[in-house]
Amino acid sequence: MSSLPAFVWMILVPLLAAPLVYLAGRLDRRSGLARWPYGLTVLALAAAWGAFVPAAASLARGAAPAFRLGAVSLQLDGLGLLLAAVALSLGLCVALYSGPYLQGEPGQEKFYALLLLMIAMIVGLGCATDLFNLWVWFEAMAVSSYLLVAFYCQQPASLEAGFKYLVQSAAGSALVVAGIALVFGVSGTLDLAAIGAAAGPTPAYLAAGVLFLVGFGVKAALVPLHTWLPDAHSQAPSGISAMLSGVVIEAGLVALLRVVGALLEVSPSWPVLLAGFGALNMLAGNLLALRQTQVKRLLAYSSVAHIGYMLLGLAITFASGEPLGAQGSLFHLVNHGLMKGLAFLAAGGLLYGLYIAAGDHGPLQVADLAGASRHYPLAALALSLAVLGLGGLPPLAGFMSKWQIFVAGFQSGDPWLMALVVFAAANSALSLAYYAPLINAMYRLEPSARVAGGRRLPKVLGLPLVGLGLAVVVLGVWPGLLDWLTGPAAGAVLSSLGGSF
Amino acid sequence: MSLAPLQIAVLGVIGLLGAGFYGLLAGRNLIKIVVALQVLVKGALLGLVAAGSVKGQVALGESLAVTVIVADTIVAVMGIALGVQIRRRVGTLDVKELSKLRG
Repeated sequence: MSSLPAFVWMILVPLLAAPLVYLAGRLDRRSGLARWPYGLTVLALAAAWGAFVPAAASLARGAAPAFRLGAVSLQLDGLGLLLAAVALSLGLCVALYSGPYLQGEPGQEKFYALLLLMIAMIVGLGCATDLFNLWVWFEAMAVSSYLLVAFYCQQPASLEAGFKYLVQSAAGSALVVAGIALVFGVSGTLDLAAIGAAAGPTPAYLAAGVLFLVGFGVKAALVPLHTWLPDAHSQAPSGISAMLSGVVIEAGLVALLRVVGALLEVSPSWPVLLAGFGALNMLAGNLLALRQTQVKRLLAYSSVAHIGYMLLGLAITFASGEPLGAQGSLFHLVNHGLMKGLAFLAAGGLLYGLYIAAGDHGPLQVADLAGASRHYPLAALALSLAVLGLGGLPPLAGFMSKWQIFVAGFQSGDPWLMALVVFAAANSALSLAYYAPLINAMYRLEPSARVAGGRRLPKVLGLPLVGLGLAVVVLGVWPGLLDWLTGPAAGAVLSSLGGSF
Repeated sequence: MSLAPLQIAVLGVIGLLGAGFYGLLAGRNLIKIVVALQVLVKGALLGLVAAGSVKGQVALGESLAVTVIVADTIVAVMGIALGVQIRRRVGTLDVKELSKLRG
């Protein structure tokens, strides 16, 4: 077994731990505390971090660790490592957080087992080198997330959100299979690199490209296909909202990126398409977020907008061949994971204190936040940090990555891209219009009756908030800290485009 | 006019995908929507098998199809399970009624 490359353990540890967690939970069922599954989950994710370090080190040495078992072929590259880093760090925070958050809920062992499974599948998705394997990881990730969205299976709204998510996501994945069939029928291969070499501007490849764009676009929440997202993100338990928003839609984006990289020769308009969806996502996400009165729905729409910034950065690299846009975009992917994770966990903390601890599953309204800083100083501070970062205020992480994308846009010298960058900056300013009322309500209004009567938050709940909050500030002050991660990832994107880096 | 097997397969794929999408958009019953989803995936499956036979890799095409069937069955089971829960908690399987409830 020692011959397995380290990165495979990042997938195997959570994957093997998932059934154990479930079994431990079944044996420990009567206590209702789910201590064993909780502990095992945190332990397994910490162990996966233990595999991450040597994997990252071997990649930094210039090795290209690969693994092959029958038809399953995996290869770690910069992009895969980046996705693994986001999935594992946010996963660990969410696992820690969910212990107190879910206390007393039925079926916690399933929650932890599915969470581990989902993380393993996301890490695997980042390492897939074969089109069909990519789909299998993608589908397995989706399957494990359906039930997590509908975890509160007593609540009609959760069930409805879960069903809607399942139907849209499964229809998208059927389209991806149709696209795979088309590519397979024309090229006779499923290896992404070989497809990249064979693909040309023929109608069949073009049709496959459209099918992939729509299929993966559902998961990545490209705008006309985003309608599942606000329901699923707002109805899921807060930890899962953080995972969905911070990692899962980004995993959809990475899958799309892999396929677009292979089908690059098919059409010259990929950069235009990416930039167009980027602009549409920013505009629609921000405008729809403005109208929301529920905190978690607001944050969900803001994720739609943030996918737009990432697409813009990628479009800049696709158009100009410069790595800076992709690097900024991937840096934003990491930052968005941290900031949106923090925002959902902090909002979840308030939701816990105000509703869930009292057995109420009602939605957290913006109006409920009035005066929350007096009773929940940590959660209020964390939520403020997160939304200010998302809005792009310096010196927080979100500003730095947006800045990098904007600089890349101006350096490209393309008037259309420069116009889009200005548009994106205007959108950033627009987004403050819905973030600021949250902070205003928490810090400047008198506590509402609900806040005054809210329960205290458990200490463990605050731990991930402190960790993620520190990360958001530190990355804002020293954005260069993550260059070791984003640089090679941008290089991987660029090399899939046939450029050298 | 006689059709070649490949043409029949392509027509079949397009027909199944079309029927599936129509069912998804027009269906009001949750169970029927899951069935439509199945029809949609079956179209894609036919495509995989046809692609394998075109390229002389019948075994590969079919093994891919079997994998998709497994994944697709899990999705269908989960969809029906959610449908059962919705019927229990809300008392209806009608999509229109459900969205009315949410208000």
